[in-house]
Amino acid sequence: MTNVIWEPEKTTADDTTLLERIAAMSFAGREPFAPPLMEMLGAISQTLLNAPLARRAPQYVALGYWLRPAAIKRMRDQLLIRAQKGSFLLTPRGIALHLPPSNVDTIFVYSWSLSVLAGNANVVRLAATLSSDVQWLVGLVAKIVEEYGEAERQLFCSYPYGGEFEWSVSRHCDLRMIWGGDAKVDAVSRTPIRPDGLSIGFPDRKSLAMICVASYAASTEEQRDELAARLYNDIYWFDQMGCSSPRVIVWVGERLKALSIDLQGRLIKVIRAKNYSVETGVAMGKFSLANDLLAEAHADRIRPVSNELCLVEVVNAGECLERTHGGGFLGEVFLSDITEVASFVTRKVQTVTHFGFDVDQLNRLASSIMSRGGYRIVPIGQALQFDADWDGVALFTHMTRRIIIRAE
Amino acid sequence: MIDALSLALEARPYSMDRDARERTLLSGLNELTLRHYANCEPYRRIIDGAWGGKTRFDTIEDVPYLPVSIFKTQKLQSVPDSEVRVTLTSSGTTGQAVSRIALDSDASLIQQRALANSLMHVLGKQRLPMLVIDTDAVFKDPRMMSARGAGVLGIMRYGRNHTFALDQRLEPNFEAVGSFLETVKDAPFFMFGFTFMVWLNFYEKFRDAGLDLSRGVLIHSGGWKKMVERSVDNATFRKAIGDAFKLTRIHNFYGMVEQIGSIFLEGPGGLLFPPNFATVIIRDPVTWRPAEIGQPGVVQVLSLLPSSYPGHSLLTEDMGVIEAIDSGEDGWMGKGVRILGRVPKSELRGCSDVIAAGS
Repeated sequence: MTNVIWEPEKTTADDTTLLERIAAMSFAGREPFAPPLMEMLGAISQTLLNAPLARRAPQYVALGYWLRPAAIKRMRDQLLIRAQKGSFLLTPRGIALHLPPSNVDTIFVYSWSLSVLAGNANVVRLAATLSSDVQWLVGLVAKIVEEYGEAERQLFCSYPYGGEFEWSVSRHCDLRMIWGGDAKVDAVSRTPIRPDGLSIGFPDRKSLAMICVASYAASTEEQRDELAARLYNDIYWFDQMGCSSPRVIVWVGERLKALSIDLQGRLIKVIRAKNYSVETGVAMGKFSLANDLLAEAHADRIRPVSNELCLVEVVNAGECLERTHGGGFLGEVFLSDITEVASFVTRKVQTVTHFGFDVDQLNRLASSIMSRGGYRIVPIGQALQFDADWDGVALFTHMTRRIIIRAE
Repeated sequence: MIDALSLALEARPYSMDRDARERTLLSGLNELTLRHYANCEPYRRIIDGAWGGKTRFDTIEDVPYLPVSIFKTQKLQSVPDSEVRVTLTSSGTTGQAVSRIALDSDASLIQQRALANSLMHVLGKQRLPMLVIDTDAVFKDPRMMSARGAGVLGIMRYGRNHTFALDQRLEPNFEAVGSFLETVKDAPFFMFGFTFMVWLNFYEKFRDAGLDLSRGVLIHSGGWKKMVERSVDNATFRKAIGDAFKLTRIHNFYGMVEQIGSIFLEGPGGLLFPPNFATVIIRDPVTWRPAEIGQPGVVQVLSLLPSSYPGHSLLTEDMGVIEAIDSGEDGWMGKGVRILGRVPKSELRGCSDVIAAGS
């Protein structure tokens, strides 16, 4: 079969051409409800309604009506206020299957509890071997579930991926939450759930922190120490392996390296005070990555402070986000304006933590990355705080269903 | 060849004491650092970005080192592609990246000469009849051709009248070994094999065959991982082979493709000694400063051989400890090091699951 592009004549296109066309659209997204787009839809509506064909094909008339400018405006208003009260009944989706990551051990509880609130029956699939901490957590949750007579509706279990059983389980599910990495989301997604089910993947994400140079320069000793403590939490709680842990620090403003060195010193103090340490293999892995980034000209200087913190002055922050190591490996870059960060934000970027910016600047940041990626803009120190809106998905909304009710 | 290397090769193998050796090495290593800085762009970027752009140092401890893994991720060479005579690759576990080492004809010749110089110390000046503890299929059968085959071929150069102790299926070839021993009679001979094959395919199969190998010199090398799994350490290995075959002249060696030709040969006490043109530094795994004698740490190897690629100073992924310096026992000078095994691979795992890992 040949590929076809309507432009507007029917034109054939080979794979490469078509792929290139699609790839070129990656960052071409626009603001929702942009007036030109609404006008375009209005024009389609009018054309449809005026077409002779529409007189004997009611489906086109219906579409035309639906696309009328007045209808689109009404839809926009409704969606924008995200009305909770409306002519619908909020209902559970049914059976929700949760596939948490094997090592960030609390995600399964977040995912499950939100779904409980949504009224779903839940299957939580856990790894065959769990750390003792996770075993404890699962035990605790399951015990309380039992005490409240919910055991039949809340199942925590383990089964191998890729087998017939997974297939059978999945065919019962109305909702599937896949947490943990591109490869896992890809592999699990090959198994279908119910045809009317909803499967949501939370793949690999990378995060970064932004600091306003002027604000940092103006802050007191105490404020700086407090920032370092919050930054420490964001970076080191899960050995910098959480999707939300920053991997690159972006300084916005004048290129004052002394400030970065100042913060680095404070961070080292926190690391020492908390007795955080990495194994020799981790320290060597970071040294190797730093050498690779230098060799490939993605970085121009490394400042290895200790085994626990390797700081790399990067030229290519995007590459540094991709090639991160964990266990205290930070790229550092200076930008003159907050919106310049957009150049290396992709779909892979999840959380932008920040210090010292006002809300207007944060809004400018959000607008600048809108068509590219990025899902959370939160203060430094809150990177790991779970949110019911995650990776851009309003989890609760997706965990529920709506029965539309229209009276006569 | 750089002057320092000529000087080191002229001296009796393994004879240079620490001071004389480090004086010679320092000038040679500085020369190599400068040469690679000028001719290898990625190396220059590393020296600029991580070592302040310096190429001249006052002690060998200050000479910049690269992580040995970098030859798996970067193409590092200081000669144009047209001058590369051979590209060596490391043995890696299937699916893992391999090191790529580019040798020009100079580097290739010099490493052979340097290796001969080292082996001469335990084999003598004459080439000896050689019993290879492997199969000739390892380099004849293209399906088996590997780093092991290249290693066997590389060492065979230093023996003559080669006989292979194992057949294609790695089973013992009693007949071949018997006629080899008959031919050499009372003359000395040379044996070479990879440590785990010497143990599994030779020692375990031939130990009851009543062989007298007392005139032999066994040189063996390769990782100890498979041996550790069987709880066989160097002392156990030596004793078992001595008891079974009356073979006592046994020399393990430590070397890597990233410093091809530079072998640390086993001397008294089971310690490994770098040749005159090389040395070892043990680094404290927290401060990364040179460790005291007796204090274990990460092994850094330095050698004057790598002239076509910047491999003259490498931080390995092995742990080791220096137990003797200039002991002079049986003529072995310099640092005597014991290799303690690999730095444990540590896995940091976060949100990202690997299903294949059985999660």
